[in-house]
Amino acid sequence: MTTERIHVFKRFERFWHWSQAALIIFMMVSGFEVHGAYKLLGFKSAVELHTIAAWSLITLWVFAVFWHFTTGEWKQYIPTMEKVDAMFKYYLTGIFTHVPHPFRQTTLTKHNPLQRLAYLFFMLVISPVIWFSGWFYLFYADWSAWGVDKYLSLEWVAFFHTTGAFMILIFFIAHIYLATAGHTPLAHIKAMITGWEEV
Amino acid sequence: MSSRTRIALSALVAGAALAVLTAFATTAPAPVVAAKPGAAGTTAPAVPAATGEKKESISTADHSKFKELQKEFKSGPEVTKACLTCHTEAAKQIQKTQHWTWEFLNPDTKQTLGKKHIINNFCTAVESNQKFCTACHIGYGWEDQKFDFTKQENVDCLVCHESTGTYRKIPGLSGHPPYKDMEFPPHTGKIVKAPDLAKVAQSVGKTSRANCGACHFYGGGGDAVKHGDLDSTLKNPGKYLDIHMDKKGLNFTCGTCHMTAGHKVPGSRYAPTAADIKDAAPHLRGKMVTTNPATCQACHGAKPHPAKMARLNDHTSKLACQTCHIPEYARGQPTKMSWDWSTAGKLTPEGKPFKVQGSDGHDAYDSKKGNFTWESHVIPEYIWFNGKVDYTLSDTKLDPTKVVQINRFEGSPNDGKSLIWPVKVFHGQQPYDTVNKTLIVPHTFGADDSAYWTNFDWDKSLAEGMKVAGIPYSGQYGFVKTEMSWPITHMVAPKADALSCAQCHSKNGRLKGVQGIYMPGRDSNKMLDIFGWGIALLALIGVLIHGGIRIITRKHEG
Amino acid sequence: MLKLIGGFIAGLVFVGVLAYNFMGSLMFREIPSPFGVEETVARIQQNIQNAGNGWTLAGLRNPAKAVEADGGNALPVMMVEACSTKYSGPILRDDTVRFLSILMPCKISVYKKNDGKTYIGMMNAGLMGKMFGPLVGGIMGQVAKDQAKFVQFDASKPAPPMIKATPGAGAGGAPGAGGGC
Repeated sequence: MTTERIHVFKRFERFWHWSQAALIIFMMVSGFEVHGAYKLLGFKSAVELHTIAAWSLITLWVFAVFWHFTTGEWKQYIPTMEKVDAMFKYYLTGIFTHVPHPFRQTTLTKHNPLQRLAYLFFMLVISPVIWFSGWFYLFYADWSAWGVDKYLSLEWVAFFHTTGAFMILIFFIAHIYLATAGHTPLAHIKAMITGWEEV
Repeated sequence: MSSRTRIALSALVAGAALAVLTAFATTAPAPVVAAKPGAAGTTAPAVPAATGEKKESISTADHSKFKELQKEFKSGPEVTKACLTCHTEAAKQIQKTQHWTWEFLNPDTKQTLGKKHIINNFCTAVESNQKFCTACHIGYGWEDQKFDFTKQENVDCLVCHESTGTYRKIPGLSGHPPYKDMEFPPHTGKIVKAPDLAKVAQSVGKTSRANCGACHFYGGGGDAVKHGDLDSTLKNPGKYLDIHMDKKGLNFTCGTCHMTAGHKVPGSRYAPTAADIKDAAPHLRGKMVTTNPATCQACHGAKPHPAKMARLNDHTSKLACQTCHIPEYARGQPTKMSWDWSTAGKLTPEGKPFKVQGSDGHDAYDSKKGNFTWESHVIPEYIWFNGKVDYTLSDTKLDPTKVVQINRFEGSPNDGKSLIWPVKVFHGQQPYDTVNKTLIVPHTFGADDSAYWTNFDWDKSLAEGMKVAGIPYSGQYGFVKTEMSWPITHMVAPKADALSCAQCHSKNGRLKGVQGIYMPGRDSNKMLDIFGWGIALLALIGVLIHGGIRIITRKHEG
Repeated sequence: MLKLIGGFIAGLVFVGVLAYNFMGSLMFREIPSPFGVEETVARIQQNIQNAGNGWTLAGLRNPAKAVEADGGNALPVMMVEACSTKYSGPILRDDTVRFLSILMPCKISVYKKNDGKTYIGMMNAGLMGKMFGPLVGGIMGQVAKDQAKFVQFDASKPAPPMIKATPGAGAGGAPGAGGGC
């Protein structure tokens, strides 16, 4: 098989990915502590640092959204059902028998169809759940000033926020694992660091 | 394309750095700022107070120079007459207050309360025992129901205004001080000196902590017995005990908060202000306010924490300030926690009453009163409280199979008027009428044959007490378990000692039993937790199996 | 081979981490008391006085008072100090272990926690002693046995008064005995 190196991840993209990864991991660690799952940082520090991380992530996202639209990279996330079944089949059997990957990466289509769906799900479902619930969680004291205190209860806000957190945790587990599913276990991870992928 | 990326990239780095920096900037310096006032408080004002010299009076009147007071007084009422020659309206003002009438009509519940009417689970009731109990009445001569509440010279000015510390009203004298030296408590060999009334009268001034404390520190029959947050250690408290009354610091008197005008003392427990939620402190100079000046919010407002600790302000709509800032009560000395009248009456083989002391030196048993327990540094109980209190009065039917609530604190997480309050719950066991199902007024004190403390005969004591009180009594009695709650509001600790987040935000924290709020760290949706962790675990197992198969199939090929 | 060494090192690290985590709870013991702080102290004091083996009360400390004097609050803590020259003597006479005088007198701490309950904190004298050879190990083993008796309470007996002063330490106390440890 001939290999060819292509530049799939731009510098900003890589910076965005890794800083976001660090923030999300940290927010999971501090968030589940606030949830009462364990003691690590101490409740007070966990709350304060979780809040700081949230604001940092919001800032990062504002820039990322701006970047995606100005560069047209947002198109990478347009979903397609084409080859989705082939992808499933590959992960279920092909990967073990070493048939060729059904998807060929290019700079213009760097995500495979499953990735596109997964990231779109992340952006359209998980993110809104976690951000909206988190926003109301954070501004709990202002509910009455906003006139929403009649419709919200902290119990339900926390419920949705925790639901979002669990979805992120599950996404995180699958994401880390599938990152090792390149043609070598470290291929995708290297690409995310250097930007270059062998295809 | 790439130059645009570069611009965006640098903007992002700057933005993220800024966000992180500002976030840190708002949290990090907090402890430094917090330390400052405390440090200043311990050093600066300490010097004059610590020397122990008498402070120069700022009053324009030196009462020792008044002719009216330069004579020999034979009794308290004589002194009062002298006071009234100048302070013509004082007695009239007093006679309108609860301090005088021992009566309070609760406008909400329509219950008639006050010491005159309530049966508590300490010494139980005043009726038939006036001679003893009225040692804490601001009057002279209330020995039975015939007391004349309109007589002006019956008002006791001295107990609230004298400053010698020698004026003491002894139980059994119907509100009078001893006019000649007497042994008290009886058979102890301790002598209480008769005060020099002229000297005492000439010493009058503004009411001090010790004046209020003369009664309020000793409620329930002794020092620190009743409240838990009021006892004699507040006469000269250290900073640790009370940040406001700290004798080397702010040195508040009771009146600094219980801002009294025309002898009306605001802030009664009979009609407490449970939730005083306002954005700004209302008690400013020149501002006409009718609200209770004794609440924390009256001075501190409803958002008392600085912007750096803004999250704490998010708590003020649910928590009374006292909940965090009085982490324990009875920090100066132990308070009585329970009183079991049912064991009273044991006598020595010679037929004499006796006392047994506990390890801490406090009475654990007294033949006159039964068994007690005491405790210091008590962790309060926490309840929703909206200021409404419902009393079990002498005519209230009770259920003897349950613990009788002498005063039930009302409140709920949803009524919009309640806050979570710390309370002292005092546990009692006391006589009740097993037929009429009511609490009983016992006749405890007196030289007569029926007084319990003289003859240790419940039948006679209860019959006499009920007869005097005019309450129907079947003659059948038993002992019922009772509880009485006391809001904890004094002995505010320095801010460094306030509860920390995790003391409530944890599985077994202080607010473990408080229902109706969702507290992160304490509460969670059990189903969601099971599902969430379960699916995450399944995902983990799934990828491990998948990865394992990949490793195995690779090896096969190799 | 590499795997073997790697596994061995990993095992070592694991044991190390485990030991580090449990060291504190091995060296010290905490048990709940059925009584309040003062009564627990008083009953321990009584047990010490009845223990024989030369045990005497050496003092009663209240570290919370120092915090209060400094304007802060601490939940009640009282430290009962006890000493037996029968045990301290041999250790104090041996130059190689004299530094263990830092552990004298024997302390038992009685304190209240935020759950409102009273707890007793003690050193695990037996285990500590084993680290310093047979002489100390033997003595500390005896101390540990006696110590266990100090915290056995007979609730049917009435609460004794708490002894605030240090017996023997004041004027007229027998020199060398009692609180002199």
